[in-house]
Amino acid sequence: MTAIRRDILIGLVCLAIAIALPIVMPGRYIITQSTLFFIWAIVVVQWNLVLGIGGIFSLAQMALFATGAYATAMLGFYWKVPMLAAIPMAGLVTVAVGMLIGLACLRLRGPYVALLTLAIAQVMYVLIVNDTGCFTTTGGCMPLFGGVRGIGQFGDIGLRALFPSKWYIAHYYVGLALLALAVAISIVVIRGPLGLAFRALRDNPGYAMSRGISRFKYQLWIFAVSAFFTGIAGGFYAVHFRVVGPTVFSFSLLLFLIAMIVIGGLGSIWGPLLGAAVLMLADEGMRELSDYRNIGLGLLLAVFVIAWPNGLNGWLQRKPAR
Amino acid sequence: MDVLIQIVASGLTLGAMYAVATIGLSLVYGSLNMLNMAHGAILTLGGYICYAAIVHAGLHPALALPGAALICAAVGLLIYFSAALPLLRAENFETNIFIATIGIGSVIENLMLKGFGPYPIPQPLAVDGQLVIGNVHIPLQNVFILGVALMLMVAVAVLLQRTSAGRAIRATSMNRDAAQLMGVRVGRVYAQVLALSGALAAVSGIMISSIATLTPVMGGDPMLKAFIVCVVAGLGNVYGAVVAAIALGLLEAATQYVFGVRWSFAMLLLLVILVLIWRPFGLFGKQQVVRL
Repeated sequence: MTAIRRDILIGLVCLAIAIALPIVMPGRYIITQSTLFFIWAIVVVQWNLVLGIGGIFSLAQMALFATGAYATAMLGFYWKVPMLAAIPMAGLVTVAVGMLIGLACLRLRGPYVALLTLAIAQVMYVLIVNDTGCFTTTGGCMPLFGGVRGIGQFGDIGLRALFPSKWYIAHYYVGLALLALAVAISIVVIRGPLGLAFRALRDNPGYAMSRGISRFKYQLWIFAVSAFFTGIAGGFYAVHFRVVGPTVFSFSLLLFLIAMIVIGGLGSIWGPLLGAAVLMLADEGMRELSDYRNIGLGLLLAVFVIAWPNGLNGWLQRKPAR
Repeated sequence: MDVLIQIVASGLTLGAMYAVATIGLSLVYGSLNMLNMAHGAILTLGGYICYAAIVHAGLHPALALPGAALICAAVGLLIYFSAALPLLRAENFETNIFIATIGIGSVIENLMLKGFGPYPIPQPLAVDGQLVIGNVHIPLQNVFILGVALMLMVAVAVLLQRTSAGRAIRATSMNRDAAQLMGVRVGRVYAQVLALSGALAAVSGIMISSIATLTPVMGGDPMLKAFIVCVVAGLGNVYGAVVAAIALGLLEAATQYVFGVRWSFAMLLLLVILVLIWRPFGLFGKQQVVRL
């Protein structure tokens, strides 16, 4: 069985299980938590493309996610754009922002990229939180980006009106569809020409470059693709929670997501998804110990990188010892 | 004129604190190619240990400061033996150590959050009094910080230039393989550098918390600025980092006065991006020729 057939098979099985879940377990809590899982899984799958395949050490993924969420909210709040149009538009805005960040960072070497992207995210956060001037006074004083309290009341995709009591199940399926799309794109990227280009650049950079494969060009491409879906995920997050605040920039969220990728397996197709599922479940199971959550996450991150750098995925695919 | 003196005074204080935080980072990157994301947490830890030693253990401040530096040096050693040493044997050291130290930093930071609570605490190690230049009142605390920072910088420079350990550190950061072939024990150099960086982080943490307050998350901002300084100077260039730190401190004080505090960080970042577009290897960094 070829690799791509195997990927499609795994994907279909997962999809079938996910479609059946609301019928088997219709509890509202499980469904809403699963929707949240879909959102983080989209971000993680797309981040993995940048981090694991493109070899770009970008920590700007949550900044891009926030860009998508804020763009959606602001399009709805200031221009009354219907959400179904606002979310794809936010995806494009995120691509533009991502390209700008990419142009500023991608000529640099690995560690410089990490620091610069982290600093960009931090500046966005500081500028939003410290903004206290009133930009609009409809319904109280609100700064341009909503300040500490964030932006609300920007509309809905209409599923709440359509299914008044079961809207969360509808959102579940929207999230699932977006995740399926994001995973499909990630398979296409990893197994397609982009993935091949990066594999060539990794295996033999000299030969690849002399054959005309430009690392900068392909890195910018992979950055743009991942920015689009991350922005869409941000937009869906905004619509799902009806409010966007500066909490999306929080360091513990960044830690949570990067731990998903590392624990699942950096650079693989299914690893980040597996990591996201494992961590969401672990987080759920240890809710009483929430004080120790970040300590545990930090320990897991360090231990996995040091002891099992290929993550759970690498462990599943280990070669039998001879 | 008074305004200028004010800006220069606070800029020099800021710059001196950044410089002490930056030297450690820069030394570690220069010799190990390791970005230590736990640096901010170690810095905070130094501040808290000093606080605990003075308030809870009743130690004299003159003992608390070196004590905190020693404990943080031990934490640096611990990071070397638990994370850097095993990762150096594997592939992708730069990426992996970065992620691992993010995890370690989070552990340290949250342990402090559990131990000392989330509320700001004043740092007891403070100097009262003022120095008056013209019409400007400069707190003696700032002068004290500047003095300690200068002393530390001179000490590090002497260590690097005049001792055999310093020569080994410089040799390792110039060319690891050649140093190893000449009989330098590279592993020992790494351990020394991480311990030194931990001690410097502790001192800068105490200085920073003495003019602000102690909180478990206070290390993040100075660490990010120290990284920015490193990036502007060229990663691993220690002397360039000192110059860049003081320049950025002055610039920050000036932008705070002209545009307000809220824009100072954004202005710094804009400047860094411009510098990096102009010179992708930093102001004092040498372009590395990559041979395939």
